[in-house]
Amino acid sequence: MSTVHAATESHGDHSDLAAEDPHFGKATGGKIAMWMFIAQDGMSFGGLLFAYGILRATAQEWPVPAEVLGINLTAFATFLLICSSLTMVFAVLAAQEKNKASLVKWLGLTILGGIGFLGIQVYEYQHLVHNGVGFVNSSFEGEAINSLFGTTFYAVTGFHGLHVLSGVIYLICIFKGAVQGKYTQGGDSASPVELVGLFWHFVDLVWILVFTFIYLL
Amino acid sequence: MADQSTASDDHGVSEAHPTVEVSKRQMYVYIFLILGFLTFIELFVPPVYGADWSSTTKMLLLCILAILKAGLVAAYFMHLNHEAKWTRWIAYTPIYMGGAVIIIMLESIYR
Repeated sequence: MSTVHAATESHGDHSDLAAEDPHFGKATGGKIAMWMFIAQDGMSFGGLLFAYGILRATAQEWPVPAEVLGINLTAFATFLLICSSLTMVFAVLAAQEKNKASLVKWLGLTILGGIGFLGIQVYEYQHLVHNGVGFVNSSFEGEAINSLFGTTFYAVTGFHGLHVLSGVIYLICIFKGAVQGKYTQGGDSASPVELVGLFWHFVDLVWILVFTFIYLL
Repeated sequence: MADQSTASDDHGVSEAHPTVEVSKRQMYVYIFLILGFLTFIELFVPPVYGADWSSTTKMLLLCILAILKAGLVAAYFMHLNHEAKWTRWIAYTPIYMGGAVIIIMLESIYR
């Protein structure tokens, strides 16, 4: 970042420091750090999905996911997560507009979307366990199926579910600050809302891929 | 949509740019509708092309739809299309690593 200072001072303008950065533009340090976190987290998911693909491709037999898993309910959960992404971008806009009431409303709806998604996931797990799909041993309609099906399913969707749970907790922390008016004071005060938004959209993006690879293929 | 017209801070000072924000909101709603439509389309691909894992058409269609949806979320909701070059390079890291993993896997398969 020393080049930033050099570039800024050479132009004699100290008021728009971030805009002078030749590499990162107007991105704040927090935003760059969040992108780095998202990139490494994306690689974690990538590793899990690659492992799933290899295990499935080399398996002697593999149940048809659409027959074992509830596709329509999960499609609804996917849509719910997409809806929460929309409410999240509206929350970011509200913070940038310094509109506290709107920010609180959209953040609240985003949190509800996340809780709804988690509720569906818990219901789905209960249903699958009841039907014999376990983490170690799996069966479907009374017949044993490849145990790796349940293992990989719970590992990937559980890892994502933990991200949703973390996101909801993160959103609740931001919501608390939003109620106190911390993020609607102008300047960089909206930055924490943008950062939680980045994380939340990432969670949505990953689920789009998980839904396709685990449920539909 | 009603929010932008009442956009003001607690001190009663509005610094919003209504025209810009309305177009942003419209764009977000369009992206949301496209994502919802693509999710709806995805549900029809497995029944049409069968449940077979090796069905190339099904895999290709579903992968294209998933990548398209993920790309829309990254580009518009995460504003990656507005980020500077280096931020985008950071964000693309999982793609380079994924490419490297595929090359390593192919090498081990055809060794």
